[in-house]
Amino acid sequence: MNENILKAKGLCKSYGSNEVLKDLDLEIQPGKIYGLIGRNGAGKTTLLGILTGQNTKNAGEVTYGGEQVWENQKALSQICFSRELQPTLFTGQNALKVKNYLKMGKLFYPGWDQEYADKLMAEFKVDPKKKIHQLSKGQMSMVTILIALASRAPLTILDEPAAGLDVVARERFYQLLLEDYMETGRTFIVSTHIIEEAASVFEQVIILDEGKIIENRPTEELIAQFHGISGREDVVDEVTRGMEVLSTQMLGKHKLVTVRADANKLTAAQNADVDITPLSLQKVFVALCGHEDTQQ
Amino acid sequence: MREELNEKDLIYLQIARMLEDDILREVYREEEGVPSTNELARGYSINPATAAKGLNLLVDAGVLYKRRGIGMFVAKGAKETVREKRKAAFFDGYVKPLVQEGKFLGLTREELLAMVSMAQSEGENDDE
Repeated sequence: MNENILKAKGLCKSYGSNEVLKDLDLEIQPGKIYGLIGRNGAGKTTLLGILTGQNTKNAGEVTYGGEQVWENQKALSQICFSRELQPTLFTGQNALKVKNYLKMGKLFYPGWDQEYADKLMAEFKVDPKKKIHQLSKGQMSMVTILIALASRAPLTILDEPAAGLDVVARERFYQLLLEDYMETGRTFIVSTHIIEEAASVFEQVIILDEGKIIENRPTEELIAQFHGISGREDVVDEVTRGMEVLSTQMLGKHKLVTVRADANKLTAAQNADVDITPLSLQKVFVALCGHEDTQQ
Repeated sequence: MREELNEKDLIYLQIARMLEDDILREVYREEEGVPSTNELARGYSINPATAAKGLNLLVDAGVLYKRRGIGMFVAKGAKETVREKRKAAFFDGYVKPLVQEGKFLGLTREELLAMVSMAQSEGENDDE
């Protein structure tokens, strides 16, 4: 299994004076569904592009199974990065027909599953004769998803697959993803803004913040470390002494704090007159990446 | 089993708890098979690793056991095991907060016990 690890070490990437990735390290183990979350402009797409040899980098290296990814056809044929489709290109409208776009997938990925692709085409009701710029935003997302799933690539990366989809299509997407995963056990990385509904699908969550990976661990292990504690100000201060407090909110004499602490450190709080509530992945994300936007 | 998971509690704990409920209700009896990891994952749109974690929690507690290549089954005496485990959780999760809330409202011991026994007789009348 060791040979299928994707490893990034010391990645740096700048666009002009804008440092997007800062000495970033990341390891993707095979056979898991990873969720990549980060704020707008955190560098998610840039990172995914570099991991799959589609973007250049200023420093660092990316290896898959110990081999460099950059311009390495053997490694790249094992990795599918299904990017968001663009209705316009530098040359004008994106007039490529859907069926021709899919043909490229078939040529590129040795594991391409045409039967599966046809089945998904029919289910998504995408007309293969349509040109890409004629598709709705939702249909473009569906084509992106279709390529990713039908590629059957051992490592498959989806960038914001749910963004253009309505809630029914999003639920269906997560079902398809799980069914594929249960059948093949391949590795997926899914970046998303819509955190809450995806949380239960991810075995492991990666949080990208200000150009660095700040978390990469099992979703439930991460969530279990965070708690909201609220009650009278002095009691809350007493029980949270020595804990890592991520945010504080006052409401009259009532204080609400978000803390990061193992469950065994909460004994004092459990016996005191305060309310302890678990946090959702979304709230954990806000606590970790909210920085300047939230009131401290 | 419920149709929806809540967003508050850890999912694997919810899965384990739902199976416990079904064992207490005898939806699944001793030596009967329970849904597999993949069935649970599909049914609730959750990662199979999470579903497996919920099942394994019950294996570790001696409530379920694995038959290699076939699936998970309800162990002998599982209902009693679940009952004992849930009794302890009932004390921590319901009785203690009940007493605490009573104290908060300034109820005496007698008032509190009277209320509990009143609720109990109401419940018995409902059952008839």
